[in-house]
Amino acid sequence: MDQNQHGQPTQEAVGKNQYQSNPMMAPTNPPSETIGPYVTSSFPREKQHAPQDIYQEQLNNFWAKQCQEIEETTDLRTHSLPYARIKKIMKADRDVRMVSAEAPVLFAKACEMFIMELTMKAWANAEDHRRRILQKSDIASAISKTDVFDFLEDIVPRDVGIPRSSIAQNFDLSMPPHQNVTYPPYYVPAMVTGRPIPDQNHHGP
Amino acid sequence: MADSDNDSGGAHNAGKGSEMSPREQDRFLPIANVSRIMKKALPANAKISKDAKETVQECVSEFISFITGEASDKCQREKRKTINGDDLLWAMTTLGFEDYVEPLKGYLQRFREMEGEKTVAARDKDAPPPTNATNSAYESPSYAAAPGGIMMHQGHVYGSAGFHQVAGGAIKGGPVYPGPGSNAGRPR
Repeated sequence: MDQNQHGQPTQEAVGKNQYQSNPMMAPTNPPSETIGPYVTSSFPREKQHAPQDIYQEQLNNFWAKQCQEIEETTDLRTHSLPYARIKKIMKADRDVRMVSAEAPVLFAKACEMFIMELTMKAWANAEDHRRRILQKSDIASAISKTDVFDFLEDIVPRDVGIPRSSIAQNFDLSMPPHQNVTYPPYYVPAMVTGRPIPDQNHHGP
Repeated sequence: MADSDNDSGGAHNAGKGSEMSPREQDRFLPIANVSRIMKKALPANAKISKDAKETVQECVSEFISFITGEASDKCQREKRKTINGDDLLWAMTTLGFEDYVEPLKGYLQRFREMEGEKTVAARDKDAPPPTNATNSAYESPSYAAAPGGIMMHQGHVYGSAGFHQVAGGAIKGGPVYPGPGSNAGRPR
């Protein structure tokens, strides 16, 4: 079944060959790393001390487990994220016209890995502060520490990386107090981070 | 317990500074699904604040838009209209998510194998088979054809048995393509 109905064989072959022969090739957007696995400690943006070795090992185990899980998957229809919603998010970008059926399926798995990676990095921050409750500030910290997550900077306020004692205000009234922690709860100033349209609307010519 | 681990689905207005209409909820994946995946990445005794769940919801939508935008740009450069799995894998590599690509290759191959079985059966009804040789499945030499799935501009019904009438509705001008069989995806 031809899924690239308007594609020309030559161009398609070139596209595939480009990906397979040189996966690091990026004509317009060079990747943040050119060789080797992603290692957070190689970036100077790291603002907080963390036992990177432990979490790097956890991350490596995570990737190994993902490959194993996929091999064990027998029914792709048992998925954790709804395909229809993924497709709607994809098509929120007006430049996106047609989406093959495999795209939301692939994204369902990709998003699961993304959520787990982001959550693991955020949990590292919570543990650094000896907390058992994952908070928005932990997500923000994980984003600020990870170069590949730069595109998420707009989602969370930039200043949440500042040490807790520097933030004297508590605007997020919707957050109930944490009864089971031994120190005052850490709140970030309440900001409306949602946008009516995704940034990717500005993509394209 | 101040933070409820049993927080599931429903409206997200309580934790937000702005009202979220049912339409706007379509911008995010369901918070129950996101929360469940987050818990898989955490120790059993960890708790997740609602604020964290909602933040990750937004991050996931941003991730989808980010990758999709890059893949869409590539399709436009190559004058193709349909974003497929390979385009997404390329975009992830370009944008720094190399670690994701290897597991997803296996996932995509599995999906195409399953689709291939259905497509072969479905293609028996179409006299001229389309030339899929150049779109061979990723690392799947046993299947020459890659599944095309349903080409639809609107609506989100997967697994539909429609053939030409469905594909025809999505095309504005240009040649008419053979209708694909149903795909494995099915929304809940």
